[in-house]
Amino acid sequence: MKKTIMRRVLLTLTTAVVIFAPASFVIVRADDSLPKVSLNADNLGPRSIEELTSKVITRDYAFAWQTMVEALEQNRPDLLDGYFTGTAKQDLTQRIADQKKTDVRVRYLDHGHKLDAIFYSPAGDAMQLRDHANLEVNVMDGQKVIHSEQVNLQYIVLMTPGADRWLVRDLEVAPEAKH
Amino acid sequence: MRIFFPSLLVWIVTPIAMFAAEVHPPSQMSAGVSFSMPSSGGGQGTLYLIGPAHLSKRQVNLGTDIEVDGDEVERAGRYTVILCTDQCSASEFYVHPAGPDRLSLLVHPSRVPVSNPNAISAVAVVWDVYHNLELSPETVKFTVNPDEHTSLSEARTTNNGIAWIRLTSAAKSGVVKLEASVGKVSEIRVVQQVASDACNLRIRASSASKKIMVETDPVRDCSGNFVPDGTVVSFTMTDSAGKTTVDVPIKRGVAKVEMPAHGRARITAASGVVTGNELDLGGGE
Repeated sequence: MKKTIMRRVLLTLTTAVVIFAPASFVIVRADDSLPKVSLNADNLGPRSIEELTSKVITRDYAFAWQTMVEALEQNRPDLLDGYFTGTAKQDLTQRIADQKKTDVRVRYLDHGHKLDAIFYSPAGDAMQLRDHANLEVNVMDGQKVIHSEQVNLQYIVLMTPGADRWLVRDLEVAPEAKH
Repeated sequence: MRIFFPSLLVWIVTPIAMFAAEVHPPSQMSAGVSFSMPSSGGGQGTLYLIGPAHLSKRQVNLGTDIEVDGDEVERAGRYTVILCTDQCSASEFYVHPAGPDRLSLLVHPSRVPVSNPNAISAVAVVWDVYHNLELSPETVKFTVNPDEHTSLSEARTTNNGIAWIRLTSAAKSGVVKLEASVGKVSEIRVVQQVASDACNLRIRASSASKKIMVETDPVRDCSGNFVPDGTVVSFTMTDSAGKTTVDVPIKRGVAKVEMPAHGRARITAASGVVTGNELDLGGGE
């Protein structure tokens, strides 16, 4: 009797592990692949940022980078639809088209972003941010790595709200200001 | 022996590294401008040019100047040039925006009540001809034309390509043109200034055959502008039968209603937060 109960308990536990383990694995993977993004809005103006907006901006910018890295890695411009619009989307779409044409690919390893929110329009319809990005960039011709570098880049980012998220509208690397 | 082999390797590798072909782009340049980069070495090599919206690969003759077309560097930002022979060497350069050529002007709201402090906001974003955000400071002039004869201007310097201003709506209703300009480029938006809430709401009544006709005077705001048609005026009559409220939209400047008369009655009117005068009537008999 005891053996039967033990067997049933073991069977139930094994089934639970088999069912739930892949789900938790996916969640962990998703969190792991999302780049780290922190936001500083201390000097933001003229509109002050709402707490929810600051969370959404941080989340959506992280998703934007995640999808951009994947789009460039897999030569898939459709991945840009979720978090890019305007010139930012046009530029990346063109880059992917050029990648397909040349069989050259740029691969990013994203080590995180420190965002400074610098402008939030009075009507809340545009936000400008300065991103201090830490990246490892690998350029591949076919399967061969022809160039690899570790860079700290300063991006000037313009984001505008969409239906349920903020979209990257303009993404421009600016030289670091010399003091 | 342990020291000898690494040293030998250094002696062999160093001259090879010294003679790796290199390309020397200018450190920075303007968007859309063709340029040439001197290269070192001999024979042929492969040149890769990678920018924000561009990626190209081509064979080049080493030891000559390598030409780069303006259309390869239209987008501002960081470019990487990689030159490969047996080995690859890389260098970078920055492309700056080509100077102000376009303006995006965001004006909110498009319809605003008169005499409302800081109610209108205008944000101007300055771009170059290739739609690069013009990051260097530029002076944007905001001009308001409340009517044909008046014009008010104020200048603002852009910060990272953006300049903005807040404006108070005028006391008189009507269309106001808001213009932003930088250099020879300008953009205009139109804001409709509408009357504010009703002010000094006054009603009058006349009775005829068991009915009371109640009518407002022309409904205006405190600046004397006509409150737009469609604005609701609520008429409330209190008599022996109880309280009756009728909502009536303003039509051609006035709101009017016909109510049944049951002896003595008190009639009031309200629009938004404004209440008008009270009328005491003796009945329709």
